[in-house]
Amino acid sequence: MTTLTFPISRIEGHARVVIEVQAGEVVSARFQATEMRGFQKFVQGVPAEQMPVITPRICGVCSTAHHVAAVKALEDAYGITPPPLAKKIRNLLLLGQLIQNQATSLFIFTMPDRVGVDSIFHMSQEEASSETQFNIAQCALRVRKIGTDLITLAGGQFIHPVKAVIGGVTSGIEPEKAEAMRQRMLKLLPRACALVDEYWELSAQMRDRIGSWGDDQPAYYIASTGETKPDLDTDSIRIMEPGGRIVENFQPKDFRKFLNYEDTIYSYAGQSSFQGKVLRANSLARMNMIKSLATPLADDYLQRLEAEYGKPAHPILLFDLCRGIELVYAFERAIEILSEPLDNEDTDSPYTPRDGEGYGLVEAPRGPLIHHYAIQKGKITSAEFIIPTVHNMLAIERALKVAARRYVNSEQINLELEKAVGRVVRAFDPCIACATQ
Amino acid sequence: MTQYKMPKFAVLQLSGCAGCEVSLLNADEWVDQFQLVYMPLVVSAYEVPEVEVLLVSGGVRNNEDIHHLIEAAKRAKKVVAVGTCAISGGVSNLGNRDEVREVFLSQKERIHLPRLLPRSQPIDDFIDVDIYLPGCPPTPELFMALLLEKEDFKPSKTVCQECGRKKLIDMKPEHFLGFQAGKVLPDICLINQGYPCVGTSTRGGCNALCTKPGHPCVGCRGPSDAFIEKESSAWLGSIQRVFEKMTDVPPEEIYEILRSPQLSLFLFQFSDYAQTGKPPRPKEKVL
Repeated sequence: MTTLTFPISRIEGHARVVIEVQAGEVVSARFQATEMRGFQKFVQGVPAEQMPVITPRICGVCSTAHHVAAVKALEDAYGITPPPLAKKIRNLLLLGQLIQNQATSLFIFTMPDRVGVDSIFHMSQEEASSETQFNIAQCALRVRKIGTDLITLAGGQFIHPVKAVIGGVTSGIEPEKAEAMRQRMLKLLPRACALVDEYWELSAQMRDRIGSWGDDQPAYYIASTGETKPDLDTDSIRIMEPGGRIVENFQPKDFRKFLNYEDTIYSYAGQSSFQGKVLRANSLARMNMIKSLATPLADDYLQRLEAEYGKPAHPILLFDLCRGIELVYAFERAIEILSEPLDNEDTDSPYTPRDGEGYGLVEAPRGPLIHHYAIQKGKITSAEFIIPTVHNMLAIERALKVAARRYVNSEQINLELEKAVGRVVRAFDPCIACATQ
Repeated sequence: MTQYKMPKFAVLQLSGCAGCEVSLLNADEWVDQFQLVYMPLVVSAYEVPEVEVLLVSGGVRNNEDIHHLIEAAKRAKKVVAVGTCAISGGVSNLGNRDEVREVFLSQKERIHLPRLLPRSQPIDDFIDVDIYLPGCPPTPELFMALLLEKEDFKPSKTVCQECGRKKLIDMKPEHFLGFQAGKVLPDICLINQGYPCVGTSTRGGCNALCTKPGHPCVGCRGPSDAFIEKESSAWLGSIQRVFEKMTDVPPEEIYEILRSPQLSLFLFQFSDYAQTGKPPRPKEKVL
């Protein structure tokens, strides 16, 4: 038996892929998460109201999603609904996160695979031919940064936001600040689109080079978003079967009926399935499930995707293209919200803390995230974090096996395998800090 | 571009959340001045080469962390502990409590996985650190001040001095509202409004980015120079005196809130030496 181990870079956190080959046959392909800090356990005993500041530290990439999920779980437990303006500002916060995350995945994590470099920071201007590459790097960082700036505007702190609070948000956004941000985003939107176009083109070239967009089989999809257009504040999760039919629609409190979770002995992250069937979460799941993005430029891209690949589309490298579509959507939607009044109404509802149970659902960039808390005497007695990357674990391993079989036979192991392994994992944009907490 | 003549630096992420790395990416000024040769989050490279500066984020939580840390430190001229986790264990310290530590017990059926350590540990338990850059995470400005060794970077001593909210003598809360209770009045000190803000003695340099929008400072930058070389009870005592003076909150409530998990993540930064017997980190080494 030959064991091939590939450490994976350009993803969030520590992970490796281990492929076992016997007599030219790929026996297994495992995705191992190799770190763990123990959040689910160690938040026991923490005063409930401190969860919105502690849980963003699960992950500095997905912190905004944890911040909002924690606040929503507590609001559910206390039986309160935040006012509309607070919801709007939280949506802005989540859009900032979507921009930051999708830009990071597109341009920092996966662009190097498309242009054949180790890192976006190694794209040098030295040769004339690579001048475009260097410009891409500079521009990509600027596009990414405006996501962070939007998080700062709507959420206070830029990595671990603080402005969402139980009952609402601490304050509105002053018109001058909103307008200044809107202007900056308007100016940057054409550049973001140009980057997405460039990315789309480079991806097509890569597809031609490797001969596939990913030849894994179709899967089930999971997302919590609106049916006709995106909704950043839904309270239900839907599951779509491979043919495109929605087969389940459930509340976060019922997740155990639909999602089977199992620990694994070779990874600190578990795996979940839809009643034993392989699930996919993240951008492709959302684009497969949504009719329209309800913003003009993003809808053009969505139609282009549908025209080229059908709906639902299954090849895994389309996850990456879908992130591009969502990047454009998040720009457009944030610009719309920023042109509305954001400091004209109450931003919080009064509440009285009480013991009990609460569920908080957020569609994070990587898929539906649930925080579930049980509270006694004001303290957390148990906490569960239902993590989107965990929904993707079986899909990642299945796709890895398919890719490995493509590059391994009885004569040789093609050196392209290492690159393929990286491309497959990055298509799912897994977050290991979240998956293992 | 003369990329290959630029000083090389590497970023080693141990067990942490990558928030420090994300912050570094927001500080894009370094892109033209440094060559980033190792940072698994954004660069594919197998090991840390010889570098001028090694930034280490995250705490030491498993045996692979120890191995990577020691190997990387050998190849660096200067080692910087970045963020609360690398300096003192950070949020992972909540896992050091006896009642929750069972989660780290080894399990014999686990295969090919790093072994978890009984406690989360700061990196200077294993290697010498030249500079400490506290913050959860440190802001992009702080990263730039560090990398460019900016002489003119002179932040205020405390978060309080950077905040700009007015302290009122006659507005004394009788109880704390907790860390978040909805509405926050603009321009008025958060302690006056009943929030247990520890910005009065927390190290400045973050530009008060939490307190300005209305969340009390939880002390992520650690103590100001006045307390950095003292035991943590000195810092705690100072905050206690501020709360006693500015509020009518009963002493037992003050005692309790100062020991709440969210603050304890940060209040013991630099000075939790009870079990290590180590000397304090000198303030000259802290940015």
